[in-house]
Amino acid sequence: MNRSATAPIRAAKRIVGRRDSILARKSIRESLVSLAGLIGCPVRDESGRDIGKLVDVVVRHGEETYPPVSGLIVKVGARKSFINGARISTLTHNEIRLSSTRINLTDYVRRDGESLLDADVLDHQIVDVDGLRVVRSSDLYLAPLDKEIRVVGVDISFVSFLRRIFPGSFSRRPTPERVVDWSAVASLTDGTGVVRTSGSRSKLSQLRPADLADLIEDLAGREQSALINMLDPDLAADALEEMEDDELQGLLRGLTTEHSAELLSRMEPDESAEVLRDLDDTHRESILDAMERGTATKLRELVSFDEKLAGGIMTTHMIIVKEGDTVAHALKLLVDSRERDVSDGVVVVDSKGKLVDHIQTIELVAAKPSDEVSSIVGPPYPTAVKVDTPLEDVVEEFINNRGSSIIVMDEKSKPVGRILADDLVDSLTSDEPRGFAQGGSGL
Amino acid sequence: MSSDKVVKTEKVEKVEKSKVSKAGQAQSDKKSDKTVKRLRLAAFLGVMGPGVLAGLSDDDPAGITTYSQLGAKYGYSLIWTLGISTIALILFQDLGARIGVVTRQGLLGLVRQKYGARSGVLSASALVLANIGTMTAEFAGIAAAGSLFGLSKYLTVPLAAIGVSALVLRGSFARVEKVFFLLAAVFIAYVVAGFMAHPAWGSAFHGLVVPAMPFNRDAIYIATATLGTTLAPWGLAFIQSYAVDKRLTRDDLKLLRADVWIGSLLTGVIGFFVIVTCAATLNAHGTFNIQDATDAAAALKPLAGSLAKDLFAVGLVGAALLAASILPLSTAYSISDLTGRPAALDDDFKSAPLFYGTFGVITVVSAGLILIPGAPLIRILVVTQVLNAILLLPLLGYLYGIAKDKRLMGEFAASKNMRIVYLAIIAIVMACVLAMLWFTVH
Repeated sequence: MNRSATAPIRAAKRIVGRRDSILARKSIRESLVSLAGLIGCPVRDESGRDIGKLVDVVVRHGEETYPPVSGLIVKVGARKSFINGARISTLTHNEIRLSSTRINLTDYVRRDGESLLDADVLDHQIVDVDGLRVVRSSDLYLAPLDKEIRVVGVDISFVSFLRRIFPGSFSRRPTPERVVDWSAVASLTDGTGVVRTSGSRSKLSQLRPADLADLIEDLAGREQSALINMLDPDLAADALEEMEDDELQGLLRGLTTEHSAELLSRMEPDESAEVLRDLDDTHRESILDAMERGTATKLRELVSFDEKLAGGIMTTHMIIVKEGDTVAHALKLLVDSRERDVSDGVVVVDSKGKLVDHIQTIELVAAKPSDEVSSIVGPPYPTAVKVDTPLEDVVEEFINNRGSSIIVMDEKSKPVGRILADDLVDSLTSDEPRGFAQGGSGL
Repeated sequence: MSSDKVVKTEKVEKVEKSKVSKAGQAQSDKKSDKTVKRLRLAAFLGVMGPGVLAGLSDDDPAGITTYSQLGAKYGYSLIWTLGISTIALILFQDLGARIGVVTRQGLLGLVRQKYGARSGVLSASALVLANIGTMTAEFAGIAAAGSLFGLSKYLTVPLAAIGVSALVLRGSFARVEKVFFLLAAVFIAYVVAGFMAHPAWGSAFHGLVVPAMPFNRDAIYIATATLGTTLAPWGLAFIQSYAVDKRLTRDDLKLLRADVWIGSLLTGVIGFFVIVTCAATLNAHGTFNIQDATDAAAALKPLAGSLAKDLFAVGLVGAALLAASILPLSTAYSISDLTGRPAALDDDFKSAPLFYGTFGVITVVSAGLILIPGAPLIRILVVTQVLNAILLLPLLGYLYGIAKDKRLMGEFAASKNMRIVYLAIIAIVMACVLAMLWFTVH
């Protein structure tokens, strides 16, 4: 890719994000070509004869961090044709030269894993993973890297946006004021589904679920689904738990049933039940049907509880041990399920499955591993309520006992779940009015 | 090196951010984050829905003056232009609400995404220009109302500009907004006045459903202004940013749409009675030309007698202040949306210069225009509304394009029938604008 000598490029003043960004490389910085400027440029054959005008640039997303240009969409006469990227010999901000005179013109058909830079990415919302925000791309920069022309960065500055409204070559010059390295960008759309950039995926996985939830909520529709698809399912489930219920319902409508089922089964059961309860019957059933049977049964039961009762807000995640089990066994169970939010202790039941005690992890650690769990059963005994205990009474119990959790039992005194203090807070705050037309002063 | 400094500041900001978020538990700080976000635009709107708010703000000084002129000059014959404007208002506000909820992006951001940088900037310029004009009309209304009580515009206009800005920027607007709202509701007095003026109902309804169009400059002008003031560009952008900003979901859409329909109908109904009242009083008694917004107060005489002027002034001030509070804010939101950097009142000036800059420019320029000695207020008012109609054209075109875009709107994309209706409305606006341009040239 040759750069025209008449186009001085200002060095990227500020490269947002990583220090090891390839945008920091001088050779890359000096050969940036503005995509926005490129659109509408003449495409010429080897001998300099005009073939047509550039309409769009197609890139292929694979495992590579910087996606290579796989072809050009060129307007030849009244027809839009696809030209293979391998044919490009020169690409500057005012001309594209091809390497042969005989050009095969074929219609462009979207393929999986490809996106059109102008139609799908430019001026669209993208997620700047470093800055933790949704921004609009003002320009995209192409540069030669590893023998191919690739997208290396996204310009998000207002200046670059304004530059594009001017006529002539001024609007075509790269103004890399604020460029986000492509590896730090999650671009959310293409015609078929998801743009996966390996770099951004790993960065997304380092975000806190609450931050991710915020990003998800800033988006809508396809972009929203695309971001979810990009995430590791467990992380996505964590983020979903942080979302508002009605937001979450909207999101589920945009996902496939299978995907919804997968995410919901990875969420805390009480949180999934809460969402499922609010879905309409057919949607809920289709999601439950797509789940693994055990999970679905558990969730069906939870959903059936009124959310004004203890059963409606409890989580079914807990570790149950028998009186006769050893302390070592109990500790092993705790370690095995450390991913779940159950690390504070184990619930002890007798041989008939009836509740005996809740033992704190610290007590287990202090006890002799070979002892039976029953040896450390004793006061203080945990607070327990029945599944049909009204929410107000649950609150009352919490106030009286100052504990961080309460155990929920069925009518046979068997433990079926726990209510953690934060579940209670959630269920108490979710009642706030929010519809503006109903006098929503809770805004 | 200055560039290094910039990088540093940003890092510091990031560190502070993460400190803040680590301070609380993940869940609780998330909820409070969200509360802050919801407070943005929403806090300004208090009890009533955005549709009703936009509706009543359409009955601002510019609206009332335009409707009064229509009634005074042409009696009942041009009421149908209001009818069409109201239908257009309902349909496009409804569309704006839907687009906002489905795409979760503001109008200008979507225009930029779909039509490119130039179209985005073009729409933004159109919106800023139209909003400065409308804002000027609001201040003109305040000046006119003040003059009824013998107060100079050099006192009332700066006072109103500073007062409203302070209220909005300091976030205490929510408390007084209901007062403005009630003041604006005084215009419902026109409904009563309309009955008391004993209008010729037959002619009024005939005028509403049977289109008649005197083909002359003034008639076209006032018809165009009626379209422009009713279907105000800022209202279209406003309802959409509202839905985005409040993160309304598809479940809220029913309520929002109901609200939009009620608000738009309210605009139409009040407008109808203003026209009818003016037709039955001013027009019937040979007063065809209104010189000043306050002349329209005369139409309230059958109802309020000598109180008419006071009542009118109160309503005018209320509607003007209401609109003057929302307009700069709505414009600032639109511009931030265009740049892809949603800003809000909880950002400081440094991090959202464009947001506050827009707010300031709109307010200062429009107040300044009014304060030019000898500024023809009524002319500014009507010209502004005509300008609104012209600037509506590109915006309506873009809205139409977005509405039919299946990739953006999914199942909410406009059906074939609706597309025809939207096109018909756009064609009417275009016909008005073209006719007007023709008369201007000849």
